[in-house]
Amino acid sequence: MDLDNARELPRAGFNFDNCKRNATLLNRGFKPPITTKTGTTIVGIIYKDGVILGADTRATEGPIVSDKNCAKIHYLAKNIYCCGAGTAADTEMTTDLISSQLELHRLQTDREVRVVAANTMLKQMLFRYQGHISAALVLGGVDKTGPHIYSIHPHGSSDKLPYATMGSGSLAAMTVFESRWKPDLSEEEGKKLVRDADPTGVFNDLGSGSNIDLCVIRKGSVEYLRNYELANKKGKRQLDYRFKTGTSTVLHTNIKDLLVTERVQAVPMEIS
Amino acid sequence: MSRLGFEQFPDYQVPGMKHPDFSPYESNGGSIVAIAGDDFAVIAADTRLSSGYNIHSRTQSKLFKLSPQTVLGSAGCWADTLSLTGSIKVRMQSYEHTHLRTMTTEAVAQMLSIAMYNRRFFPYYVSNILAGIDNEGKGVVYSYDPIGHCEKATYRAGGTAGTLLQPVLDNQIGHKNMNLEDADKIKLTKERAVSVASDTFISAAERDIYTGDSVLINIITKDGIEVRTLTLRQD
Amino acid sequence: MQPDFDFTDTPVSTGTTIMAVEFDGGVVIGADSRTSSGAYVANRVTDKLTRITDKVYCCRSGSAADTQAIADIVAYSLNYHENQTNKDALVFEAASEFRNYCYSYRESLLAGIIVAGWDEQRGGQVYSIPLGGMLTRESCTIGGSGSSFIYGFVREHYRPNMALEDCVTFVKKAVQHAIYHDGSSGGVVRIGIITKDGIERRIFYNTESGASAVSSTPSFISSE
Repeated sequence: MDLDNARELPRAGFNFDNCKRNATLLNRGFKPPITTKTGTTIVGIIYKDGVILGADTRATEGPIVSDKNCAKIHYLAKNIYCCGAGTAADTEMTTDLISSQLELHRLQTDREVRVVAANTMLKQMLFRYQGHISAALVLGGVDKTGPHIYSIHPHGSSDKLPYATMGSGSLAAMTVFESRWKPDLSEEEGKKLVRDADPTGVFNDLGSGSNIDLCVIRKGSVEYLRNYELANKKGKRQLDYRFKTGTSTVLHTNIKDLLVTERVQAVPMEIS
Repeated sequence: MSRLGFEQFPDYQVPGMKHPDFSPYESNGGSIVAIAGDDFAVIAADTRLSSGYNIHSRTQSKLFKLSPQTVLGSAGCWADTLSLTGSIKVRMQSYEHTHLRTMTTEAVAQMLSIAMYNRRFFPYYVSNILAGIDNEGKGVVYSYDPIGHCEKATYRAGGTAGTLLQPVLDNQIGHKNMNLEDADKIKLTKERAVSVASDTFISAAERDIYTGDSVLINIITKDGIEVRTLTLRQD
Repeated sequence: MQPDFDFTDTPVSTGTTIMAVEFDGGVVIGADSRTSSGAYVANRVTDKLTRITDKVYCCRSGSAADTQAIADIVAYSLNYHENQTNKDALVFEAASEFRNYCYSYRESLLAGIIVAGWDEQRGGQVYSIPLGGMLTRESCTIGGSGSSFIYGFVREHYRPNMALEDCVTFVKKAVQHAIYHDGSSGGVVRIGIITKDGIERRIFYNTESGASAVSSTPSFISSE
């Protein structure tokens, strides 16, 4: 009898039955809604005085570019930023959620939060969702223990590295780091390295494109360089496509008066 | 009936049974635009050849000069494009040897349709657009679906950004959805056709990841084919 | 057709070679440093010798996410236990805790773990927890995808109660052989020597001499 009850106990952790159902539907030819992906090139390195994060700015929905200039370097804390690749909604919500948890943690402990804390919170959240949250992250920041770069995979594993890349352009960008990264780069050298690595992904990987964002985090200061480099300029069109007034046929007109008059009456407050 | 009851399952659902994957097609991307005028035809295609998220070539022409007055633009599965254009060229040469004259654009158009329908149940996975000068010296454009349906038009867009480009052509070349007097409709000159074709590609490269690098433009007139290029974004 | 993110969507796993051997004064643990995700090497300097307490370490193989998660939980729990009892945790206590997680979640985890360390009660010990969540004590054990290539080597060259340096050489050579034959093992050989004084770390690079080929290579000895 007791044994029967024990068997009925719900399993620990989240329930992924719907995910199984979705996979079955997919197998039978169901077309799921297309989500916005940031098929991306995101990178991060450690240099002499801190870390530098880099990201491209293209977001895609299948073969279509849905955002030509999105920001993939997300704020986590004053001293910690995080680049996100994968499903746009997942990377944004995950980083936002952890960002607020880190702020509460900072207020509770009255100390600057550490990068390890951000790493642990992110990986524990992603692990609980067993890879169903498609967020591949490059986490970077500086705390009292020094500069740190972590790369975090969607299933919740993380690696502490001196240089990291993620997203569909990560192989392209990694080639640059593997040949040119060395310890104790100066800030200028570091920026140049990230600036060279990211466009490698932008140009050679179709999922990445448009501009380059940079974020330099030093001890005590942050420089968020939005659109640090405009790697791709839009072509100049030869003709003018402005239409003459009246090009669209007016079918009917209906003008409404938006002037609203209202009488306000004072109501005495009830005191018990 | 077998004791295992396999018959009860439709062929594709037998447990433990798996069909080996065979995928003979690949989408290599690319877009084509063709516009026909009174005495000219303009056909343009981008030069990016890709698959998945990888770029194979940034300089691959998708335009095939079939005769001095006919050019074929072909995008889709590049292997099929090569196979199809190869056999078309052979047939055209054979025609020339047999009849001692070059095939007219109309004749090529009809032959292309038949060549594609011959593969009705294992089609060439290509989006073809044929542009040229017809018997009377007027510009013509023919567009095709992968199994040989042929449609004569004055302007047409195809390939991965076809759905992005076509409405622009409808508006700018076809003057669709506009309340315009005939006098206000801009005359389609050769230069205007080239400009509209170029501009649509600039816009398509902004939004379609498979379109980019550069555009090759062929301007077909009775005097021959003029080739122009335009650089697009590289990302 | 939407192109997929191939390797970014495939789970990261430590297709690995790991090893632990008791010697007369402690244990020697060893591992390669490759973490792959499909055909891509996601990390070539991984540290699979993960600290649980000062004198208990684990060698991780299988899914990187799963093994990191369990190791973090066990490390937390044993740290709490040490604080409460004011005593060093036993190696068996760590191993048993690992076993509990590996066994109860055997359906959803992909983790092959070796727990090794030193404690006052039983000296150097090695425990193996393979895929199903079984717990056994061994004097010498190997694990991960690369281990299948070195069963012969280990059987031929293992001797009970080796001297420290002999044991280190034995482990180093075994892992090197596995790295050579196994495609999903690679990088450097990381070795840890755990005795009553704690751990001593060594790295053997993939060069003729075993020393680093790059003069400026920093030793990033840490993971997670």
